[in-house]
Order: sequence, then C-alpha cells, then structure tokens
Amino acid sequence: MKLKATKGYDVVHAWLKEKSLSPFQFQQETWQHIIDKKSGLVNAPTGCGKTFSVFLGSVIDFINEHPKNYKTKSKNNLQLLWVTPLRALATDIGRAMEEVIDELGMNWKVGIRNGDTSISDRQKQKRQVPEVLIITPESLHLLLAHKNYTDVFKSLKIVAVDEWHELLGSKRGVQVELAISRLAGLNPKFCLWGISATIGNLQQAKEVLLSPIANLYQQSPDKFGETVTAQIDKNIQIESVFPDEIEKFPWAGHLGIKLVDKVIPIIMNSRTTLIFINTRGMSEMWYQALLTACPELAGVIALHHGSIEQDLRSWVEENLHTGKLKTVVCTASLDLGVDFRPVETVIQVGSPKGVARFLQRAGRSGHRPGEISKIYFLPTHSLELMEAAALKEATEIKLIESREPRLLCFDVLIQYLSTLAISDGFYPKDIFEEIKTTYCYRDINDEEWQKILQFTTAGGVALQQYDDYKKIEIIDGLYKINNRRIAMRHRMHIGTIVSDPMMKVKFISGGFVGVIEEWFIARLQPGDIFTLAGRTLEFVMIKEMTALVRKSNAKKSIIPSWQGGRMPLSANLGFMLRKKFDEAGLLLHKKNKKGIDREITELQPLFELQEYLSHIPKQNELLIEHIETQDGFHLFVFPFEGRLVHEAMAAVLAYRISRITPITFSLAMNDYGFELLSDQPIPLDDTNSYGLFSPQNLFADIQRSLNSVEMAKRKFRDIAVIGGLIFTGFPGEQKKARHLQSSASLLFNVFAEYEPGNLLLRQSYNEVMEQQMEEERLRKMLERIQKSKIIITFPNRLTPFCFPIKVDSMRENLTSEKLEDRVKRMQMQLEK
Amino acid sequence: MFSPQKFILHKETLWLSPARCVYWEDEKALILSDLHFGKTGHFRKEGIGVPQNIFKEDLQRLFTQIQFFKPSVLLIAGDMFHSKANKEIDLFLKWRNDLHAIDFHLIKGNHDVLPDKFYEEAGIKVSKKKLSVKNFCFTHDINEECENDDEITFTFSGHIHPGIKVNGVGKQSFMLPCFYFSDTYAVLPAFSYFTGLYKIKPGKKDNVFALVENKVIKMQ
Repeated sequence: MKLKATKGYDVVHAWLKEKSLSPFQFQQETWQHIIDKKSGLVNAPTGCGKTFSVFLGSVIDFINEHPKNYKTKSKNNLQLLWVTPLRALATDIGRAMEEVIDELGMNWKVGIRNGDTSISDRQKQKRQVPEVLIITPESLHLLLAHKNYTDVFKSLKIVAVDEWHELLGSKRGVQVELAISRLAGLNPKFCLWGISATIGNLQQAKEVLLSPIANLYQQSPDKFGETVTAQIDKNIQIESVFPDEIEKFPWAGHLGIKLVDKVIPIIMNSRTTLIFINTRGMSEMWYQALLTACPELAGVIALHHGSIEQDLRSWVEENLHTGKLKTVVCTASLDLGVDFRPVETVIQVGSPKGVARFLQRAGRSGHRPGEISKIYFLPTHSLELMEAAALKEATEIKLIESREPRLLCFDVLIQYLSTLAISDGFYPKDIFEEIKTTYCYRDINDEEWQKILQFTTAGGVALQQYDDYKKIEIIDGLYKINNRRIAMRHRMHIGTIVSDPMMKVKFISGGFVGVIEEWFIARLQPGDIFTLAGRTLEFVMIKEMTALVRKSNAKKSIIPSWQGGRMPLSANLGFMLRKKFDEAGLLLHKKNKKGIDREITELQPLFELQEYLSHIPKQNELLIEHIETQDGFHLFVFPFEGRLVHEAMAAVLAYRISRITPITFSLAMNDYGFELLSDQPIPLDDTNSYGLFSPQNLFADIQRSLNSVEMAKRKFRDIAVIGGLIFTGFPGEQKKARHLQSSASLLFNVFAEYEPGNLLLRQSYNEVMEQQMEEERLRKMLERIQKSKIIITFPNRLTPFCFPIKVDSMRENLTSEKLEDRVKRMQMQLEK
Repeated sequence: MFSPQKFILHKETLWLSPARCVYWEDEKALILSDLHFGKTGHFRKEGIGVPQNIFKEDLQRLFTQIQFFKPSVLLIAGDMFHSKANKEIDLFLKWRNDLHAIDFHLIKGNHDVLPDKFYEEAGIKVSKKKLSVKNFCFTHDINEECENDDEITFTFSGHIHPGIKVNGVGKQSFMLPCFYFSDTYAVLPAFSYFTGLYKIKPGKKDNVFALVENKVIKMQ
C-alpha cells in the first residue's frame, strides 16, 4: 500500500498543513512501514518529532482501517501501547497526543499508567481500556500481574518503546524484552517500534528489542526489522571554563564551586541555562553558592534532582517551559524528558564520563532547527580540563558509546515468573519457549531453567520433612501463587530499580520537602542542620517513618552525600583522554604551540611539575609511581580506563603481588588510575612488571581475587531485592514485614556458605565480571599494556596525577595473609 | 582445632568458646543467646528461599558444644526461637528429646513469641524478664532489666548481636562477632550464624573477645 494514496495520510497531511507544518522524511518513512505492518527502530534525537513518527503512524493506520467512521468510532480497546522510561514524560506525551486526537475530531482516549496513576483512574482503564496507553516498564509488568490481563492486549496494533537507548543496557530493558515476549505469545499480530537516540550499537539495539517478533516471522533477529534514521545534524559548540590559576595538586570536587563567579556571566548572557551537576549533594551546594554569589537570582533559580518532591519538580519543569526561570541546577534527573525551548545554554560541571551523555546534555539547549547547542565544561579539578579537550575531539569524530544489552538476568526472570504466577498462572513449557525468543535469555539452558523453577517452587536447598517453603505452587501443571500475602508483597516490589531505603522529610508544621536516604537521617541528632531541596533545615525527630524538620537560619549545614551510582569513564572517553595526554607530553618539548587545545596549554604548569617529579605517559606507555609517605607504601598506576576497570585491575594486581610475598593492601581508584597502599614495600619493578600485567590467567585471577573483595556482595543487594529475597518497602509508607528483615550482606554470606550453586549468587559474580570487572575491557587493556612501555618512577612526594586518587578514594580489602595474623596485627588499632 | 579461652570473672571460671557460647565451670552451665531457631523456616514459609542447612549447622554446633562441655543446664539469654512455630522447630524438638537430662532455661527475648504451652511441652523452663543464678543475672536486653545490687554483681545479656570493627592501615576494616564484658555486664554474641552484626564501641577498660574461625582472640 502506498502511504500517500491512503485516506489516513490525507487526513493527517491536511491537519499538518493547516498548522503550516509538513512531515519530515523519517516520519513519512515510518508511517509507510507501519501501514505495511512492519516493525523496526526509529533513530532520532529528542525534540524533532519522533513521537509523531510512530503515534501518527498508528492514527493513519486506524483511519485506513475505518475510513468511513474513524471519527465517531469509540471504545476501540487498546490500539497503541506506548512504553516510556520516565513518568514525567508520560504526561507531556499524553497531552500532545490528546491535542492531535482532538483536532482530528477522533474519539480516542489516552490513558497514562504509572506509579502516580490514581486507583479510580486504574479502575476506569480496566472497565474501558483506552486506545492509547502510556506506560512504564514496571507498570506494564504490574498489568501482567492482573487477573485476565490477556484481554487487555487482544486488540493491540502497535507497541512503541520510547527512549529505548535509555532502557537498553539496564534491567528495565530486560523487563521490556520479557513483556514483549509475553505479548508476542498472546497476540502475534502487533507491530513493534523502538525509538532511540544515536548510540554506538544501534543495529544491536534493534535486534534486542525485535528479537521475539523476528521469531514470530521465523527470521533471524539480526536481519529483521526496518531502521529509519532522522537526518538531523546538530551543531554543538563546546567551551571550557578556565580557572584563573591552575592548581598543581588537583582534587575532585574542590575546584568547581570556586568557579562560581565565572558562571554568573554565562547565566546572565543567556535566556535560560541548565547547570548539570553529577551528584545531588553537589547540586545542593551549587544552588547555595550561586545564590550567595548572585542574590539577584533569587526567584529565578531553581534546583531539580531525584530527592526533591515531585510537585516541586513539576513546578520547575513547568517554569522551564514558560521561560520564567533563568537557571536550573540539576542532576541526571533532567537528562531525559521533553524539551525546554527557552534553554539556550548548558553548563556541565565535572566529568560527564561519556561522550553520549555529554552530547545528550548539550542537546538540551538550542532546540529550534538551525540553532546551535552551546555547552560549557566546568572542571571540578584542573586535570579534568583534559576531558574537555578529549570530549571536543570525540564529538567531532562522533565517537559515541554503545549500550551493552544485559544477558541472563536470573533475578528479573524470577520476578517475572512470580508476576505471571500471581495473575493467571503459567505453564513452564510455554513460557520457556517465549523467553528463549528474547535476546536476554536466548542462551539459557534447560538446567538453568529447571533451577529457576526449582528455586521458585521449592526454595533451593531444604531439609525436606522439616520445610514449609511456599511461593509458587504447582496445580495440575499450572504454576501459580495462591497465598494472598505473598502475592501482595510481590506486587509491591515489581521493578528493577533498587534504591537505598528512603525516608520522607516533612515540616513539623506540615508540608513535604522531599525524600532522603534513611542512613543519612539515622546519623543526625535532633538540632542538627542539613540541606535538602535548597532549604536549610533543622532535624527535629523521626515520627512514623517520616523525618520531621523545621526551617533554620543557621549558616552552617551538613550536605547529604547521596550514594548514587558513580558512573565510570567510558572506554571511548578513556581512549581520547590517553591521546590528549600524549599530546600534552609531546608539547612540553615543543616550542610551537599552534593547533594545540587551550585546555592543554593552560595545564602546562601542572604537566611541568608532573614531568619533573615523575613522568607524563605517552599513548604507548603505562606510568607506575612508587611513593612512600607517612601512610605507608603507595603504588599508583595510570591506565586511564575508568573507575570500574581500575577497581578490577587493582584487585587482580594486589592478588598477583600477594602471591610473591604475603602482603595486605588497601585499594583506591578514580577514572584515571588506581592505588595500592601497604605498610610494607611493594615488590613491583622492571623485572616483574610485564608479568604482573599479563592477560594470561586473567579469568582465574579475577575469580580468585573476587572472593576477597566485596564487589559481588554489593551487586547481590540489588539482585536479592529484584529476585524477591529482600523487601525494602517504600519511603515511610509501609511497615516492614516483621521477622523478615535481613541484610543483603548477611544473605550473601549465607548463600555463599550453604548454597554456593544458588543462581542469584552466581548472577552476582557474573555481573561483577561483566559490569564491574568489564572483563573484556580489562583484557584489552592488559593486551595494550603488553605492547606498550611500562615506566616506573620513584617520586619523592605525591604527584599531580596521583593526588586526586589519594583524595577521591574508596577502599577495599584484599589479603593473602591468614585472617588471624591480620587480626593480631591490627588489634591495637581498634576504632576509638 | 577449636579451643575455648579461660576468663575469670568475679572469681568464677568461664570458658569462652569460639562456637559462640560460654561455659560456666562451677555451675556446669552453658550460657548462650540469640539462637533464632526457625528463622530460615520462617523466611521460607513467606517465599524467601534461604538455605535451611544454616539451621542444621546451628543445631549441630549446639550439640557439639554440649558434648564437649557436658553442661547440666543451658542458660539462654533470649531469642531462642525466631518467630511463630514452623516445621523447623520440630527438628529442634527431636534433638531436645535426646538431651532430656539437660535443663533448658530460657529468659525470654523479643523474638520469643511462642505460646507458653510450647515451652512446657519442649521441656524449656521460662523466665519472663530475668533470671538470677548465684550472683549473676541473665536477661535479654541489657537496657531493660537487671539492676545490679549487693547480691547481683554481674549481668549477662544478648539481643544486639555484637560485632567489633577491626581497623588496619589505610582504612581497611572488617567486623567480627565478639563477647563484650564491661565491669558490670556482658553482651553475648548471637549463637545463630543467620544473624547480622551490630558494631559496638567499647570503653578503654572493657574486655572484648573476637571470634575468628576456631579461635577466641582477646582484642582488649
């Protein structure tokens, strides 16, 4: 069928024309594919009509099916399921869709389904399913937990997965994969469309999403589906904010706020400015600092982060739209979402850690076609200026990161099976066939599947006659949860986002401020002053799982440090960074500084000191520094591969050295390098350095050094929550189940000791290998080191390169000595 | 090999066992706390599949301790059973029957919610809040009962599952279960392995014994 010959196209085209708009090429392409009942992926940035590419396609298709009565036809049941990762997006998208439906005079309803949807709206949606349902992955799974859920999807024509690049690579993406596999099993006729921004592995992104659909058509998933690309080129201008003086001993988080005076003119010279800060704690500090530096900003400056009350956040977003705010200090909370047209400028404070995120943030400014996206990079320590130089070049050559899809997430699968078991129940044979069509579980074997079934029905290792394990029961082959309490608890815990237990913060006189981690409140004494949502608050007491506070005028306050995920430097940015250091090293011996990034020339004094004390590594060199201080013997290594790879490498290196001699280390790392610290000299020199960095036996050495480190335990926490072993409850809302409390680390120890074959335990080790250790990346790094020159220096004091590691440290244990010996050696150092 | 450590307290000889209990020589009493029997069963009943072997091992360890010290009485400072009755407790009762010569005396803790009849049938004597033996007092939570006076010179308690944080060079640290002795009271480690640790902050004059594998190590 030719798109332009259809009635649907005529109607939509006429409507657009009335508004003096014409469809983009990529939109028309998508519409053509949709009326041809094809599936695929739309690659388009935000703010260029990507929503309309799929949504209007669905409308056109409907009009074509009902050319005579498309206007009057109502109660058509679900036509379009719109999956979006962000609740905040749902309202805006819904509004835009309703507007179109209204103007076309159609009788469609748009429903929104997420954690904020009221019970009465849910009931309404249940009685009459709207034609368009906008839903989060979690709510979609909740829908699968309803009795008779299959009816909802009978009429479904199109499933759209918005911001797929955000979901891919996370367990929420796996949730989407599973839901798609179920829908494909129920109703094999719908088309599936992903919408994604540009990422390094777009082709794979399509394959992951469409895999169950490809299976329906018995086609190979890597070749199935259409790709539609929006040809919209964005001009990005990157500028660094330079400190007046380059400090030679940089440390993270210290410099940024000093540059606040340099930020004021930027804010003043642009209509609206977004200031992206990497952590919530720092964003609170920046908000205060800006207000202090420029009191005129009062009333036109706002703060936006994940711990701030929803209403307040919506208010900020609303005022960003209308241009009433001059500047907003925000975190990743504003990475996604609809566009704020008044935003002309973006300031990135600190490393964005990756090219993709940097571009995404830059793209939040200058949205109108033809406008330039302007982004300033403000370093939090002087060495970070190198990242600005690296980002500039990476942007130029479009070195955008990939999002690696997750594989074999048993925790999500266990949760999914329980979800199906509380609605209509399931037959393992059918579901096994379905999940094998997903990308995530395509390699699951029978044994693993049997173990999962065994775990959910019999609870692993038990003492048979002394056991009353109960979760999924098998009745005539149907796997079902009948216990209402267990079902209820499961329903409350559907989802894969695990956060620390949170507590509501309220004024004693009434009024909600936000939420904050329980552990932070637990440390406070009544009368202590802290900052949240830009307000200075005095802690009064805890009542009914709520922290009560009153306003305070105190000058000093504690800023909570939220334990958000610390992002590691991406491989792409690391590569670019090494290249820039190479340029910097060469520059020292050059007279002509033409064509060199200003970031590098500004840092000259720091580089000179580094070269004087130690060395600046070239691209084909690995720098190692031996330094002795009061703390002990330090070994600093600088591979520039990002925090996670460094963490793994540090553990492996510590393990390998400890085989030479019994020695205990503490480890620290940042994105540029890592440190081993010991109370005795570290035996690494010219004779053994290549051997210690050998890729041989890497896997085994990782495994061995793993047990001693706490990494798997940390991963296990989320897995245990997702897999239903730990109940977290919601902030202040629900009493925790009595006598069912346990900590993830306790459960981890228990499983490690008594049921080492447990699938969730194994998964935590696998996740460490894949995510934490990034084994693949680690191996590549070691291979690179084998080919490069290892330079070992012995500076007589800390160098500019190692100083930030010293400050930005997070330590872990590793030992080869007998535990007892260690206790005896340490016993005199008992904590005071 | 497992080796208990001798500790003299108010002229009484105590043996601190790395298996998380204390043997009081003169009274032939095995003192322990926070066994949390039935905890894995309780979790499993609610659909949380924790391995039951941990309970089996707790039971076996108790049996081994009884064989080693040959006590005539077990003084249990609370939280003997984790929650309501379940099948795991039947396994305990089977063991209990084989040990009928030994008195069990439980001073109830916050977890001991089973009906009185149960203890009666299991041959467990119960004290609600505290129990005095010679000039020692036993209670579950040190913050609630047992004020020392002329007669009572020392109190044994449990409840908090004490752990001691051990620090080393360069911020490394880890926690170990421990016995804690101040000059007026003691806190016993939780007997069950299915328990977490609460970090204690001992004073300078207090005695702390950490438990590492098969040894008791005096920390201070």
